[in-house]
Amino acid sequence: MRAIFFFFLTFIIFLNKNSFAIQFESLKTKNGIKFWLIEDKSLPLVSMSFSFKGGSILDPIGKDGVMNLMTSLLDEGTQNFTASEYRLFKRENGIKISFSSSKERVEGTFQVVKPRLQEGFYLLFESINKARFPINEIKKVKSQVKASIKIDNSNISTIASNKFNEFFFKDKLIGRNTKGTLKTLSTISRDDIESIYKSSFIKDRLVIGISGDIDPSLAKKYVDYVFGDLKSEKFKNPISKLKELSEGRKIIKMKTPQTTVVFGQKGLGRKDEDYFAARVINYVLGGGGFQSRLYKEIREANGLVYSIYSYLMPYEYAGVIVGGFQTRNENVGTTIEKVKSEWKKIKTNGITKTELQNAKTYYKGSFSRNFTSTMSIASLLMIVQYYDLGEDYFRKRDLIIDDLKLNEINNLAKKLFDSESLFFMIVGEPKI
Amino acid sequence: MRSVLFIIFLFYFSFSFSNEKTSPHLFKLKNGMDVIIIENKRAPVIAQMIWYNFGSGIEEKGKSGLAHFMEHLMFKGTRKFPDNYYSNYISKVGGSENAFTSYDYTAYYQVFPKSELKKMMKMEADRMTNLTLTKENVEIEKRVILEERFQRIESDPSSKLDESMRSILFPNHYYGRPIIGWRHEIEGLTYEDVLSFYKDNYKPNNAILVLSGDVDLEKAKKLSKKYYGKIRKGKKEKKLKVTDPDLDTNIFVKMKHSTVKQPIWKKFYRTISYKSDVQSSIALDMGLKIVASGTASLLYQNLVEEKKIFSVVGGYFQGLTKGEGNVYLYAISKEKKPSSEIDSIIMNEFREIINEKLTPKRFEIEKKKYFFDTIYKKDGVLNPAQIYGEALTVGLTLDDIKKWQERVDNISLNDVKKVLEELYDNGNYVIGELSN
Repeated sequence: MRAIFFFFLTFIIFLNKNSFAIQFESLKTKNGIKFWLIEDKSLPLVSMSFSFKGGSILDPIGKDGVMNLMTSLLDEGTQNFTASEYRLFKRENGIKISFSSSKERVEGTFQVVKPRLQEGFYLLFESINKARFPINEIKKVKSQVKASIKIDNSNISTIASNKFNEFFFKDKLIGRNTKGTLKTLSTISRDDIESIYKSSFIKDRLVIGISGDIDPSLAKKYVDYVFGDLKSEKFKNPISKLKELSEGRKIIKMKTPQTTVVFGQKGLGRKDEDYFAARVINYVLGGGGFQSRLYKEIREANGLVYSIYSYLMPYEYAGVIVGGFQTRNENVGTTIEKVKSEWKKIKTNGITKTELQNAKTYYKGSFSRNFTSTMSIASLLMIVQYYDLGEDYFRKRDLIIDDLKLNEINNLAKKLFDSESLFFMIVGEPKI
Repeated sequence: MRSVLFIIFLFYFSFSFSNEKTSPHLFKLKNGMDVIIIENKRAPVIAQMIWYNFGSGIEEKGKSGLAHFMEHLMFKGTRKFPDNYYSNYISKVGGSENAFTSYDYTAYYQVFPKSELKKMMKMEADRMTNLTLTKENVEIEKRVILEERFQRIESDPSSKLDESMRSILFPNHYYGRPIIGWRHEIEGLTYEDVLSFYKDNYKPNNAILVLSGDVDLEKAKKLSKKYYGKIRKGKKEKKLKVTDPDLDTNIFVKMKHSTVKQPIWKKFYRTISYKSDVQSSIALDMGLKIVASGTASLLYQNLVEEKKIFSVVGGYFQGLTKGEGNVYLYAISKEKKPSSEIDSIIMNEFREIINEKLTPKRFEIEKKKYFFDTIYKKDGVLNPAQIYGEALTVGLTLDDIKKWQERVDNISLNDVKKVLEELYDNGNYVIGELSN
């Protein structure tokens, strides 16, 4: 007796005025896993993007880097494949699988050509359910991560961003390097890896987006096959709010002709109702292409830098605004002052009506670029679910943008941006 | 960010778009400009790329960095679309844009909603000849470029090492000169240099236009004629026929810097290119992929997994060049070893791979992978434009691309072994060591 009721919904996404419609389906499998799918037969391939909430933030204290190490080992030997068999099987069957961990989530991408669908999902099943973590491979991957940490430590821009995290976040859990340190890596045992593996791949933390040449019933079958046996367990995101953040500046001396500066202040979480408004302000200030105020003033008008930017770094419930630039040692002071002055301007005067209008059309127009490849479609479907933006997000999005009012935006700018609370991490030989 | 220097271009190259409904249309405008249209209606988005068939290679001696400098200045506005108009407009409609300069070409691209096609073509065509540059533009931008050089090269010992290695590997050819330019020569570039470079080279007959995405063929033809077709042609791109002498000696370059925490070994070869020999280049690409690409490669398998001498080893072939191509190898040794020893470990392994470890089975796996990769390469709007634009700019033909899969099918294990043998015996290389 098989009486299965599938929760089945179809949404139509309208983009632009160009009557562009894509059918997206919100599906639920027999084992209760929800996912979104856009079926697209234009090429014989399938792309999937998935993530589990809870990333490197869950590394136990002193075991920094264990989540990253675990995800790096998922293709290094499973129940039915040795590490090298796994890789050859992947090559032979046109399969792409990658895992990565960021602070808040473990992410995976998976692609397979249509004629090898079964082989592809089989391999993914092995990684998610049957990873073995052989001692030899652990040793090998550890030595690779250590080498990459040393390379990072030779490179001024990664040094600056790691040091920024270390000193900016007073919450040590968040400030840690997701790769860990040479010291913490040495203390990580096979048991540590195994235990984070078992506790991370939990059904309730999973979100999935799929796009490509696969129909809903087959997609459901494979999603169940790969993820259906994972256990269930409620999850609470540990980054609910940020403890104190540093202000002022810190200098680390390094022999180099050019200084790297990374700066930041408190921002907003992705689920904050003002998030889109903050995004618009930042777009005008330091985001988006070659039109931002920081770009125009500091690069174009004064030639002080090659690159300068700021962006919102949102966690689910909290966030920061981060920026950066490089400039030669004697210009560091001037450039920092210019950043602060742009920060003050946006706080005091906000953005203009034209800037708001241009930002609105940017966000509306740029959305269709997400639909150019199956992987970018899958990632979008994943991320909209990850942040619980809702099944009507694609319809709602333009309205959210249209509804943004200049005075509300500028009130937020006043509240959020504060040049006094900026923290500058300065690495190099600055003359200031 | 604007301007990406392709010093080491990690763009794995393999394609075959033959006999597909996505196969592109090519036509020539009266002024000599080539236009390629690649239709893909998945999303209402179009990518426009314009490929100029010159890069740092046409700079006269003493003026290195001029082509890249010019690329930056192409964003400074025209009479019709002054100052920031172009970039502002693209942002406003939700598009994205960028540009990059290489030894052999300079390319500009935008990705935008399809409703903007006409305006984008109009603006891109306009800046081919109507740029209004001021001395102030040039002086400020020179500072930006010096910062770029500091950021990409001077602050990065690994890039400085690459720069030295290339200057030795190509003592005569322009491939030995950095694309971004030597610092002292950038400092010497003038407004007049820039202006005459622009007027001499930015011509329709030196360019290939690629439109990829939700584009209608007839409409694209009409617009190409209207905007690009009316630009007067100029003299053809200068061709510098310079080749390099055989090195035939072991050259080691050592870069020591106090900030280096992880020693790295590298080896650069001068090799054949797709332009000089398509068939052998495809074989070399396949061979290098089996021997050195990623964690499934034989070098990795034998030296990292089994013998545990290195924590990383790999390499690749870059043959989309007008002059000679390159093979790059790199390794990170677990224990400190002299670079000559690392070299002999790798080369001995290379020998054994050619002799025994490269089996017919392994070769067949790679052939399949090659085929599947061609499907992935069509997924997107910019990627296909990039592949066609680059291939045609360095001198391949549409026919070469059409016959790609056929050529792949015809390659045998022996063909691959033969080109790997040649690489093994190739004396034109430089070995580099990064340490502290």
